[in-house]
Amino acid sequence: MSSTDLADVEFVVRSLAQTAVDKEEAFGDLDAVVGDGDLGYSLARGFEKVLADWDSFKRDDVATFLQQIALAISSRIGGTSGPLWGTAFLRASAAAKTLDTIDGAAVVSMLRGATDGIKARGNSDLGDKTLLDALIPATDELERQLAAGASPVQCRAAFAAKTRECADATSALEAKRGRASYSGARSIGSPDAGAAAVAIIVERMVADWP
Amino acid sequence: MKKFVNDPQQFVPDMLEGLALANPDTLKYVPEYNLIMRADGPDQEKVSIVQGSGSGHEPAHVMIVGRGMLDAACPGDVFAAPPLDYVYETTKLMASPKGVLLLVNNYTGDKMVFDMAQEMSSAEGIEVKTLFINDDVSVEDSTYTIGRRGVAGNFFVIKAVAAAAERGADLDEVIRIGEKVNSVTRTMGVALTACTPPAKGSPLFELGEDEIEMGVGIHGEPGRRRAKMMSANEIVEELLGPVVRDLPFREGDRVALMVNGLGGTPISELYLLYGQAHKRLAEQGISVGRSYVGEYCTSLDMAGASITLVKLDDEIESLLMDPAEIPIRVF
Repeated sequence: MSSTDLADVEFVVRSLAQTAVDKEEAFGDLDAVVGDGDLGYSLARGFEKVLADWDSFKRDDVATFLQQIALAISSRIGGTSGPLWGTAFLRASAAAKTLDTIDGAAVVSMLRGATDGIKARGNSDLGDKTLLDALIPATDELERQLAAGASPVQCRAAFAAKTRECADATSALEAKRGRASYSGARSIGSPDAGAAAVAIIVERMVADWP
Repeated sequence: MKKFVNDPQQFVPDMLEGLALANPDTLKYVPEYNLIMRADGPDQEKVSIVQGSGSGHEPAHVMIVGRGMLDAACPGDVFAAPPLDYVYETTKLMASPKGVLLLVNNYTGDKMVFDMAQEMSSAEGIEVKTLFINDDVSVEDSTYTIGRRGVAGNFFVIKAVAAAAERGADLDEVIRIGEKVNSVTRTMGVALTACTPPAKGSPLFELGEDEIEMGVGIHGEPGRRRAKMMSANEIVEELLGPVVRDLPFREGDRVALMVNGLGGTPISELYLLYGQAHKRLAEQGISVGRSYVGEYCTSLDMAGASITLVKLDDEIESLLMDPAEIPIRVF
């Protein structure tokens, strides 16, 4: 594995963490529509910890790095966000353990690990109006682009566009999981806060890509 | 609301420090992870039995650490699941060649945290399993749960698995016993008043002067219905009926009967409830083999009680009778 691999992963995590901290209020407002309004607070506290501990994480390889991120996030975020985001990083780490190099296919495999982990931990699936409704189709799209021989730039752009499209489309869904589910049909008409947050995070990551 | 509190954020650590100072020979306190463990633990010859959950349910779980009961307990803040790193580090500290069993009441946050801690500890080569307890018959799902909640019946699961572990059972056998006891244990509770978490400083929910919450959860979650205050015997009828019908318990069954106080009810009232429950069971041909009256799993200062029945057989009864030594004592 090259040091470039780790540098790219570090960029992704750092960008995600910075957006979560910067957008605390915006994410909270998204969640307040039908959830309990704590998404922004939860993510910001968890990723604040990631940024604060940034230099102390072990960087033996991508898997080790991601496992440390998982623990940092989950130890700080309460409620259900911590375990869900922590599991995503934990499973991405497990996927990375089996990979020699972090290429496009590896990214797909890590994203699959992350979304499968969220599914299992949250007992949720596509259509339940969660962040999975943005992340899974976007991963499918990334896989299609790679198979079609798209460049890294094209892949990233397509991933971001699909994430946004699918996050917006969650407005039509009724929430089946999480606090928003207690609102039942009242959750229709506004996008899922988690999916919308993921879209904002991915858009900024792609725009800032070095 | 008046409470013995310094800094609400320090409520749990201050309580744990007091607990450790009062029991220096038997307990060890690891403040970094809110961990209370047996001073002589972990015993490498037995399965380690660990319970984690929010605080506020004392004596469960930090005050039932000791020989024959829990090897360790790692509480979160009041009514909040412990953070992942507490559970993860606790599991590593309690690792034994015979394995670790994590016992958890079935609430969404706890379930996720303990599942993750198990996954992370397993990846490090620790043999660890998780058992979820779900004895509450009041509601299938609530704000805090996936499926049925775990409440006071967790005492019987802990007692039985801990006794089995002391006898030398391996991890699979300990889990078999835990699942068996959980499958024959049923509970329902009632609140006469709400409770007041130290950090909140005001009652957690609204209950009118003449109102009670039938089927309340141990964090004050709503139950089956809000009712007008009624006589003690009528309350026993409303609690015992659903519990008996749920398993169901039948004529000829022999049971353990527990009347558990939720923190703010005098023991005199608990015995009054016990008497009526015992008689009502006898009328249905159900005999009480073992009796438990007192506070086992509370909700801070909530006035209220829960009734638990466990269907006994020779194996369960024998495990419940094994000796145990915990900080709660009268001599």
